Amino acid sequence: MSVITDILQLLLTANLWQVALVSAVLLLLPALGGVISERSGVVNIAMEGMMLTGAFFAVWADLIWHSPWIAVLVAMVAGGLMALIHAVVSIRFRADQIVSGIAINIFAAGLTVFLVRAIYGLQDVGHVVPAEALPNWDVPVLSAIPFIGQVVFQQNVVVYIALILLVVVEIVLFRTRLGLRIRAVGEHPQAADTAGLNVYLIRYGAVITSGLLSGLAGAFLAIGVSNTFVPNMTDGRGYIALAAMIFGKWTPRGAFVACIIFGLGEAIYANNSTIHVSQYLLSMLPYLITLVVLAGLVGRSTPPAADGIPYAAGSE
Amino acid sequence: MPFASVLFAFVVGAVVVTVTGGNPIDAYQGLLCGGLGVACTQGENPALQIANTIIFAIPLITAGVAVALPFRAGLFNIGAEGQLLAGAMACTALGIKLHDWPAVILLPTVLVGGMLAGAAWAGIAGVLKATVGAHEVVTTIMLNYVAQWLLRFLIIGGPLELRAGTSKSLPIGEGARLATFLPNSDTIQILGLPASVYRVHVGLVIAVVAVAVFAILLWRTSLGYEIRAAGQSQKAARYAGVSVRRTIIVTMLIAGAFSGLAGAIQIAGVDHNLTDKYFSDTTGFDAIAVALLGLGSAVGIVLAAILFGALHAGGSVMQADAGISSSLVLVLQALILFSIAANFLNAIRLRIPGLGQAPSAPAPAAVGAALMTEAAVAPPQEGTTST
Repeated sequence: MSVITDILQLLLTANLWQVALVSAVLLLLPALGGVISERSGVVNIAMEGMMLTGAFFAVWADLIWHSPWIAVLVAMVAGGLMALIHAVVSIRFRADQIVSGIAINIFAAGLTVFLVRAIYGLQDVGHVVPAEALPNWDVPVLSAIPFIGQVVFQQNVVVYIALILLVVVEIVLFRTRLGLRIRAVGEHPQAADTAGLNVYLIRYGAVITSGLLSGLAGAFLAIGVSNTFVPNMTDGRGYIALAAMIFGKWTPRGAFVACIIFGLGEAIYANNSTIHVSQYLLSMLPYLITLVVLAGLVGRSTPPAADGIPYAAGSE
Repeated sequence: MPFASVLFAFVVGAVVVTVTGGNPIDAYQGLLCGGLGVACTQGENPALQIANTIIFAIPLITAGVAVALPFRAGLFNIGAEGQLLAGAMACTALGIKLHDWPAVILLPTVLVGGMLAGAAWAGIAGVLKATVGAHEVVTTIMLNYVAQWLLRFLIIGGPLELRAGTSKSLPIGEGARLATFLPNSDTIQILGLPASVYRVHVGLVIAVVAVAVFAILLWRTSLGYEIRAAGQSQKAARYAGVSVRRTIIVTMLIAGAFSGLAGAIQIAGVDHNLTDKYFSDTTGFDAIAVALLGLGSAVGIVLAAILFGALHAGGSVMQADAGISSSLVLVLQALILFSIAANFLNAIRLRIPGLGQAPSAPAPAAVGAALMTEAAVAPPQEGTTST
């Protein structure tokens, strides 16, 4: 019983929600990318690899140019390039998108470690000094609001960017012509093509966007939350983001709710010493919850109709 | 065609090495030496290198079958890793709890236990696919991570931990261990090294039997016919009286058993306990490359497993001799996957029904495609004609 009251008390502290939001944003950015990519009809299980690549190049660039903003840019370009490979292989060559996604993840895991050794030799990658990390920023006035102020408005800049992106992606996907086109291409590419849309262009754009967002998430992880690169530091976040996307039924707002739930779980564990359940068992929860969702116990989650199907112009 | 994929990977890999300031000739010489025992420069023992390659290839063969069989049924099992870990965990737990049983009973128990655990792990994905249509790619990814965390739980402060802070399990009983072909002796010298360093074990025989069972099952049994029929076209299979739901579940159960066996063999034959090296184990993912590169055939799987086994064994020699990170092996593996997926799709499509329809049909052209259209959206329906 004391565990439950402890958790309830924790839920009333702003600290907990502040930490949970950071964890959630690390999942939200790749999840948004996944939503965009899959809505356009390209299955993307490669967020993990794109994020990892972004994390490495963020640290690499920050150590060279001593600017977190250049680092973020480099990380996003790196994530975008990984996504471009996925796009070329799965759109241009109409390859199996799952095989391509697996290959991206293996490629990223191998390349980052390979580069660590090639560039830094046997030494550690080195640490980013706090002054050159992605900064925290208190929003004037708003950060003074009790509770909400600390949770939402005393955060890292990337958190604000991510929350704005959440709203932007939600509006673009469901309230604009571009969003309609993206969804049309993902649901019925033949009809979209007949209507004059460039199926390939839209899919390329969507997949590359997912890489940019995952790269940003990697940068936030490496030079915002942590301050160095460690091999495999994403530790499955790209896959939890995938789970969040499915949990959220391929919508940005749904994915956000899932990210908050997963982030909250992480934060509760980190902040509570009275929970005697192994952290490793708790770490299973996002995956188990997703299995339960997939089992249809909490409503059905159906992917876009043409998700995963390569498009060849001129086919029926 | 698979040879071209491998060639492509090595050419691009050489570019990667050159661009980052390494010498690709040194790198590949290290790989060759470590993998096949030829062209060694630092006095490595060729026989030992070949032995290491075989040891790496053994679980890849068994796990490769676990990916290739579902391919034939039009299912993409990317959960071989989780199933392998389930098998390894079950094998270890049984090998510890029943450590004083005689080998005649204990060894079969731990191996079968590993197979059952793997089968159960894959069976979850199979049942979800057959009943509610949950895509097996997604469910097996989730199950991989559940297995990963369960493993950490068990050996970091959990019930199987040797001592606090060791991050490894107790060793399994003597009777649960697979024999090595050469005597486990430090005094007998073979090719200049103590016999105990050549650790090739009886698991090799088990793996060869497993791949033979796979081929016979697929081509000589009615279940194999049903698997292939379901992979070609679920609709047609239903008209032929095949229960697609049942076939999906059975296929996943068998595949999981093969993966679980791979994990059990690793524990019983090589490691004898669970260690933190299993946290970063990639055998189940390598198995996907093995199955694809081997074009889903028994002989192909064995050859591809030897290639990847050689790359793994060669990686550490390359790192030691040429100073190039063994992670280059992962890069090469990814490049092989890209080129199989992108360039050689036609070759594969002709041979693995699960990868698409007739080669002339432009779309759907891929596993994901075939599955997501017909099966993912709605659960497979049983045809009334079958009754």
